[in-house]
Amino acid sequence: MSNMVKGDRVVKCLARKGGFTLSFFSMASLCEVLIDTDNEALATELGLIAANEAWRIEDKYSRYDSKSLCSEINSKAGQVVEIDEETFNLFEFASQCYEMSEGTFDITSGILRKVWHFDGSDNVPSEKSVEALLQLVGWDKVSYSANSFLMKKGMEIDFGGLGKEYAVDRAVLLISQRSNAPFLVNYGGDLAVHGTRENDEPWQVGIEHPSFDASQSTLVTLRTGAVATSGDANRFLLKDNHRYSHILDVVTGWPVKNPPNSITVAAPQCIQAGFLATLALIQGADAENFLKEQNILHWSIR
Amino acid sequence: MQLKAKKPNLKVMLTTASCALLGTTATVCAEETWQFDTAIMHYAEADRVSATEAIIAGTKTFKNDEILSLKLTIDALTGASPNGATAQPTPQTFTRPSGNGQYNVKAGDTPLDDTFHDTRVQLTGQWTQPLLKDYTVSVGGNFSKEYDYMSASLNGNVARDFNKKNTTLSAGMAYAYDVIEPEGGIPKPLSEMDVGDSNDPNFNDDFNKTRIASDESKSTIDLLFGVTQVINRQMIVQLNYSYSTVSGYMTDPFKIISSVNKNGESQAYLYENRPDERTKHAFFGQTKYHFDSGILDASYRYMTDDWQIDSHTFDFRYLIPFTNGHFIEPHFRLYTQSAAEFYQPFIAQDEAKPNFVSADYRIGELDTYTVGLKYGMPLGDGNNLSFRLEYYHQTPKDNGTQAIGVLKEVELYEQVDAIIVQVTYSF
Repeated sequence: MSNMVKGDRVVKCLARKGGFTLSFFSMASLCEVLIDTDNEALATELGLIAANEAWRIEDKYSRYDSKSLCSEINSKAGQVVEIDEETFNLFEFASQCYEMSEGTFDITSGILRKVWHFDGSDNVPSEKSVEALLQLVGWDKVSYSANSFLMKKGMEIDFGGLGKEYAVDRAVLLISQRSNAPFLVNYGGDLAVHGTRENDEPWQVGIEHPSFDASQSTLVTLRTGAVATSGDANRFLLKDNHRYSHILDVVTGWPVKNPPNSITVAAPQCIQAGFLATLALIQGADAENFLKEQNILHWSIR
Repeated sequence: MQLKAKKPNLKVMLTTASCALLGTTATVCAEETWQFDTAIMHYAEADRVSATEAIIAGTKTFKNDEILSLKLTIDALTGASPNGATAQPTPQTFTRPSGNGQYNVKAGDTPLDDTFHDTRVQLTGQWTQPLLKDYTVSVGGNFSKEYDYMSASLNGNVARDFNKKNTTLSAGMAYAYDVIEPEGGIPKPLSEMDVGDSNDPNFNDDFNKTRIASDESKSTIDLLFGVTQVINRQMIVQLNYSYSTVSGYMTDPFKIISSVNKNGESQAYLYENRPDERTKHAFFGQTKYHFDSGILDASYRYMTDDWQIDSHTFDFRYLIPFTNGHFIEPHFRLYTQSAAEFYQPFIAQDEAKPNFVSADYRIGELDTYTVGLKYGMPLGDGNNLSFRLEYYHQTPKDNGTQAIGVLKEVELYEQVDAIIVQVTYSF
């Protein structure tokens, strides 16, 4: 059973005005590629290119998949693990994000979920348990080279904050190498567009959040580049009339105060937008100011 | 918190960081690449001129939507072109425009000068970029050179978008300067072609008496105003008005006109003469409509000038895409023009010489049509190959002039058939 086929790996093709919408399911999201072309065969081919790449990235970097490289690295914490060039490049990017965020964006922080369950309950962990876990958090505690990786026993890495956005950018790259048709890649609200549409028309995308009502969905008009969204209003804890957001300051191990429910950020590439959106949320009440100061286009929902 | 204004620019740092990540194969980070179009075109008129043209055009789009386009065109022209004289029931002899020798035309044939062969090299460049909000500016230049002709021009254009880019207004201006330096010099207008014995030692002196200069020039100013309107998702409309004023030498130094007696027999050939001012107004409308089955591109142009030439051009193309990415595009074009006020197929010898006269059928009353087909296919990696085949038919018409005497027996308005073949490769 080592080669289990995942049942729902299909790409659906739907005609729409001006082109086709290819959809599939990956990384716990509905993924769509909208291609402006009259050529259905080409659209299907491009959709498959995107889907296969998304599934490849999911298989390699999902922490939910016990056979993934991510799971292998986590299970071998304490030992030197061999890594390939792509993983090294992702670590390099994560490392620069860690530095740019002064330690607040950290792909080793996922382990804090062991004590923080943002299920709407009053289940706030003890300071002691948070403190204990913080010993296992910190990108400064790992060492890696172009082909090896080592972290402390008990630590975990998690590509959740980057994987989907990376898949979007990879899809843009691969599709644009194959065709000149203008297209949009939208993986569960993290999206990027490429090419100039007829009449230079922009793409209009509603960024929907399952947790928000329709009136709060963000309508984004996009001609070039990417947007990504961070935040989830349904994930919080409530204790003694104090609402704890699910955004953790990984330096303290405690939720940041008063972040927006959701931040959507525009950037040339999706992986940049994703990082900036997460980084903004970590600023808590200061999120919008932080983006304004950096002159970054964004949409915030509070 | 951590990141304040004093912090380095995150956007810049992120660009570097993600370039490394997506960089192994990334074109998004790398300097944008050139897009090239290459084409070979062959134009052939039955028994007349044929031209072969090679084009290589490159376009590069930079980070902030600046666009640089460069184009190199090389064409080679060979064959025979009507010299303006009428056919005669007897053979005719003409002196070559260079004065170096003569050529003969058979009885009944439209006189063609077969000395045409020239190679032209043309280079154009255009720079377009956004400026301020909603404005786009563009400047360009053009230089072309052939053996006896040089043309240089500069142009500038500004466009402004309104109404969420659904409406674009544009205004442009161009200036061109042309110099013609024909071998054998510029003929004296309305002087008689010297058709003596070219081996006669006095021939050169006599020929030179018909010459007034070695070169002439003209300058052209064009003004263009346009509006482009997006009507809906399927339809876009463009309307242009252009004004053009030319001043200088517009006479064709290679063209002559037959001076005939009452019986229509050629007595002499006079070098033609055209006014040295010309003002044109042109109105152009175009619409593209995206049907479910294809794209219609229809346009109409009306041109009128103070030489009394009015012309109408109707052009239709319909692009039909196939599911495999190939497409076929039928093309149909109709053109009709009235004659310039000084156009005459010949001059009556006993009438006063007009100031301006030309027998060039291209400024006479003329109808033409073009039917053609283009077939294109993608070759993967964004490369495209297309073929175009067109048939072009010209029907010169009499502008009310009555043929006299022997001219009734010959074809004064010979129709011209041409074939155009083009192969284009874009990569």
